[in-house]
Amino acid sequence: MCFMHHFNQQLHPGLAGMLLLLAVLAAPAAGAARFKIATASPDGLSWMNELRLAIREVEEGTDGRVTFKIYPGGVQGDDFTVLRKMRIGQLQGGAVVASTLSRFFPDLKIYNLPMTFRNFEEVDYVRQRMDPVLLKGLKDNGIHSFALAETGFAFILSKTPVRKVSDLKTLKVWVPSDDRLYIQLMRSFGIDPIPLLTADVLPGLQSGLINAIASPPIVALALQWHTQVKYVTDLPIVYIYSMLALDNKPFARLSPADQQLVDRVINQTFREIDRSNRLDNEKAFQALLDQGLTLVSPTDAEREVWYRFAENAVSEVSESGSLSKKNIQGFFRHLEDARSSSAAQ
Amino acid sequence: MDTAPGLARLRAHRFLPVWHRLLLLAACLLLPSCASLVSGLSTRLANDLSAAVLNSEDTETVRQGAPAYLILIDSLLGEASKNTELLRIAANLNGAFAAAFVTEPSRARLMSDKAFDYALRAWCLELPGSCDIRSMPFEEFEVLVAGLDVKEVPAAYAVATAWVGWIQAHSNDWNAIAQLSRARGLMERLIELDEYYDLGGPHLYMGGLDSLFPAAMGGRPEKSRMHFERALEISAGRNLTAKVFYAELYARLVFNQKLHDRLLQEVLAADPKSEGVTLINRIAQMRARRLLETGRDYF
Repeated sequence: MCFMHHFNQQLHPGLAGMLLLLAVLAAPAAGAARFKIATASPDGLSWMNELRLAIREVEEGTDGRVTFKIYPGGVQGDDFTVLRKMRIGQLQGGAVVASTLSRFFPDLKIYNLPMTFRNFEEVDYVRQRMDPVLLKGLKDNGIHSFALAETGFAFILSKTPVRKVSDLKTLKVWVPSDDRLYIQLMRSFGIDPIPLLTADVLPGLQSGLINAIASPPIVALALQWHTQVKYVTDLPIVYIYSMLALDNKPFARLSPADQQLVDRVINQTFREIDRSNRLDNEKAFQALLDQGLTLVSPTDAEREVWYRFAENAVSEVSESGSLSKKNIQGFFRHLEDARSSSAAQ
Repeated sequence: MDTAPGLARLRAHRFLPVWHRLLLLAACLLLPSCASLVSGLSTRLANDLSAAVLNSEDTETVRQGAPAYLILIDSLLGEASKNTELLRIAANLNGAFAAAFVTEPSRARLMSDKAFDYALRAWCLELPGSCDIRSMPFEEFEVLVAGLDVKEVPAAYAVATAWVGWIQAHSNDWNAIAQLSRARGLMERLIELDEYYDLGGPHLYMGGLDSLFPAAMGGRPEKSRMHFERALEISAGRNLTAKVFYAELYARLVFNQKLHDRLLQEVLAADPKSEGVTLINRIAQMRARRLLETGRDYF
């Protein structure tokens, strides 16, 4: 951008006018758009194949008025770089882990608060009521998104058994290096985590730099982290989800009919990805055990201690003002409703 | 210079026609004490079949005809066969056929199961203390692999390649994906032991394995490129599959269309005839055409 600015300053006024005219002529017709979207995920994964099918359906259904170009495999950089490029208009979208979108709308992290969701029944109950709130909040902040796709519950995978909070305090625990909220939450547990990039987790486990991680089973298996740990703690730590985010400006320029078609097709695809990821995580969790990892099951009393620590950590975050009180309260109200309706059954 | 022991084996014993050997086998099976002769003839027959398949220029004839020979080799092996060479040839043929011609996932899974089973049987006969290579704790697996010797390269290569094919065919099974590090560990050790084996096959496979994930997720695109380059160097350009995989797996991962298209154009311009790799070169050219077409959408 800086380069372009400098270049324009030196142009002959007549030439600049002609270029402007060419730019106008070359601009897509009103109501048409090309979305360049990027993801760190490698091509060829089943969700990418499903997204490509959806894109083809959109392109055919809009007679080519809406087209997409996918940049897979992190060729446009990590999730944060993708979002930065969206801001400066180099990209119009990205399929990213939802927490990275929190710079547009911090409340997306509410689902990520530790040990709030304890099972999938609670997830489904709350998400049914709260997903639209989050999507609207994101939209109000310039991002058009679609149905959320579950990445899964992260579980503790470690070299020595972790049954109690005190077990974890003695370990070298990984935290994603770009996630300040998690670092803050870990500290609330009395853990001083070791921030590392995702790419450095496997070497970190191999070298002993870290000896405990929290990860959804599908991620741990795909990236082969399971080969370097021996135990998995049967306690969902954090709920993780992903989103396809589009810059709302080009999306808003589409005709209402085209917007509806894009929404219908991509929402349907992401709902399917959401469902299949859950099944995959269930199978992957079993695969972790099949591969020889030992299941560590905290007792009810031990679980209560974990939950108390988590509640304190969440209170600290709530009081810090980084998430809106209204949405946090709404979230916990839904969560309580889910628990009471489950208890009533 | 032929650097692939496998190819040398394939060229041996070609003097005796296949049908003649079949007749001999049939006659011999009637006699009570000809087990060792049967074993030798079976191996020669399988070697001849393998060579005939790999040197064929007619992919369609092989696609239609090879299954009958795969069944024949199955019949020669049986449950109790201790012929490790024949087991490895059977693993190789089943795996190669599945990779080259089988598009239906359930059939690909069946054939990869068979290929992996044959390779593991040969492995278990040659290294009887390590039959549980798939299930032993990973730390023990690493110690085992580090202790492998040059003489164990054929057994290890057969297992490693069949393992990769099996994981690919079972990529919807998390227990299969979980074993990727083991196949990779074997392949890395094979490069240390004999990087020239099978025209640089270990480098070709490692090029693919290192390109599975982008760098941000722990993949090693730059190492992938180095492995593909080394595989090309070792095969002196004879194995066109190396260029096709280089384009498909590396160039697409790093979004380098110029490299992608150049490699594939070179494949299309090359003479596919080369001892032991003619058939796979033909298949590589077919794949190169498809990749050039789909590349327009991809890039």
